[in-house]
This record gives sequence, structure tokens and C-alpha cells, in this order.
Amino acid sequence: MTTGDDDLPPANPAESLRLIERERAETELSITPDPRAFLWPWGFAWVIGFGLYFLRYGPGDRVFVDLPAWLPLTVLLTLLLAAGIFTGWYGAQLSRHISGPSTRQGVMYGITWSVAFAGMATVLSTTNGLLTDAHANLLWAGAMVAVTGIMHMAGGAIWNDRGLFALGLWTSIVNAAGILVGAGWHSLILAVLAGGAMLFVGTYQWLRLRRLASRGVR
Amino acid sequence: MSQTELPELDPVIHAQARLRVVSSLSTLRESDSIAFPRLQEILKMTAGNLSVHLRKLEDAGYVEVTKTHHGRTPATLVRLTRRGRLAFEDYTAALRALLSPGQEEQKP
Repeated sequence: MTTGDDDLPPANPAESLRLIERERAETELSITPDPRAFLWPWGFAWVIGFGLYFLRYGPGDRVFVDLPAWLPLTVLLTLLLAAGIFTGWYGAQLSRHISGPSTRQGVMYGITWSVAFAGMATVLSTTNGLLTDAHANLLWAGAMVAVTGIMHMAGGAIWNDRGLFALGLWTSIVNAAGILVGAGWHSLILAVLAGGAMLFVGTYQWLRLRRLASRGVR
Repeated sequence: MSQTELPELDPVIHAQARLRVVSSLSTLRESDSIAFPRLQEILKMTAGNLSVHLRKLEDAGYVEVTKTHHGRTPATLVRLTRRGRLAFEDYTAALRALLSPGQEEQKP
């Protein structure tokens, strides 16, 4: 019925191929989740939360800044909760646009995170009152960060994402190193090297996506 | 040296608008669907125009349009069928052959 310009074929084969490339690049960019959305909220939570831990509970019981004792844990948990809510919301938005196996994969991965943390917290809570504060902090932080490292590596394997895999491996290594160095230093290492790495990988992947897009879309 | 046969281009895909629709859908993973409004936004087409082209593609068996619900809001999902994906691959292969006929294998 309606035969507009768009019903006509492209001018020539080269033009058709360019059209295909452009459209694919534009769609790719538009449906690829923003890497910052999944990494920045957690990165900031770690940098700030573990940073406060280091300042309040430094190596060898040193107090660099005399913050209230409850503050670092409260801030860390609040920021982690906020990050969880945000990434959950963002993931749900994505699944409203695309549905099928990809969405299912994302949902299963999201559930795995929650189950892994809940399971680990249940196990660790049995040590309540048995350890010194410094030791308990090291145990909780070390175990949770170990889970995070594993989850990132698994995510890298699922989506064939080298950046995410490398982030997980790096997190696992610096976590182990921090635990060996001891409480206090562990917090500093998590804040700077692990939290910083999340911000870095999120930024790097975002810039790469933009570069690819500007090359494809022109 | 026999003359290379020029491959025929699929008339369903060979219209600019439908080529754009199929190209865009081909980016999705197999069996993934995209919501109609999202596709419309990516392609910057009007809903009416996109519907017309989707119907033609659906008639050819290249796309599948599913009406469903996200919670209580109705949603229309679009995906490329296996047949549509094959047609798209054949189409791009034909274009490449047209651009560099020398590199194409001669068919017996």
C-alpha cells in the first residue's frame, strides 16, 4: 500500500553492506548493557567502605582517623545494599527490552550472586563472638571478596568477557595477598586495588564500547 | 573462464527499511526477542511503518512477532526466525559476491 523511499532497495551492493554494518553497530551499542552500571556502584562501595575501614581500623590497631566504631561497617553495608538494588533494577530494565536465553542467563547469574552471599554469610555467622574484631573483619571481608572474585571469573566465562574474567582473577589475587599481609592492610588493598579495579574495568569497557560504536556508526 | 552468475538478491530483504529491520534483529542472539518499542527506537521508524514492514517479513517467515505480557502491560516481542537469519546470511553473502565476483567459487 505505502511505497515510500524506504521500500526501494539501497543504491548499490556497497551501500547495502554499509547500511547493514551501520544498523548492526547501532543495535549492538543500544542493546549492550552499560558496563559502568554493573561495576561502578560496587567499585564506589568498596573504595569508600573499605577505605573507611582502613582509616578506622588500620594495621596493628592503628586509628588513622578517629571515626565512630560503627561507621565503616554501616557505610559499607549501606553502599553495598544500594549497589545491589541499583544493579538489580538495571538488570530488570534490560530484561524488559530483550527476552529469551540472554535474559534468563542474566537472571540466573543475578540469583547466583545473592545465593552465594547468603550462603557464605550463614556459614560465617556461626563464628560470631568467637573471634577478635580484627580477625572477624578479616574473615568476613576476605570470604565475601573471595566470592566476588569467583563470581566475576564465572561471569567472564559465561559471557566470554575477558575484562570481567581478569577483574575476577585480580580481585582473587589481591584478596589473598591482603589476607596474608593482615588486617588493616587488607582493607586498604581492597579499597584501592580491588575497588579501584572495578572502577577501572567499568570505565575501560565503557570507553571501548563507545569507540566501537563511533567506528561502526560513524 | 565461464561467466560468473550474479547471485539474486532476496526481494523481501532488498528494500531499505526491511534490510535495516533484519540487520538490526540479526544482532540479537538466536531465540532472543526484542520489544517492539525498543526496536522502533533503534531504527527510528514510526510504529505504523515498522508494523507494515514487520508484517511483510512475517509473511515471508523471516520474523516472528509474539504478543505477551510483562506483568500487566501488554508487550510485543520481535525476533528473527532461523529462516530469516539464513536469508540474511545469504543476502550478505550475495552482496559480497557482487562486490568481488572474482573471489567467489564457480558453481558447476
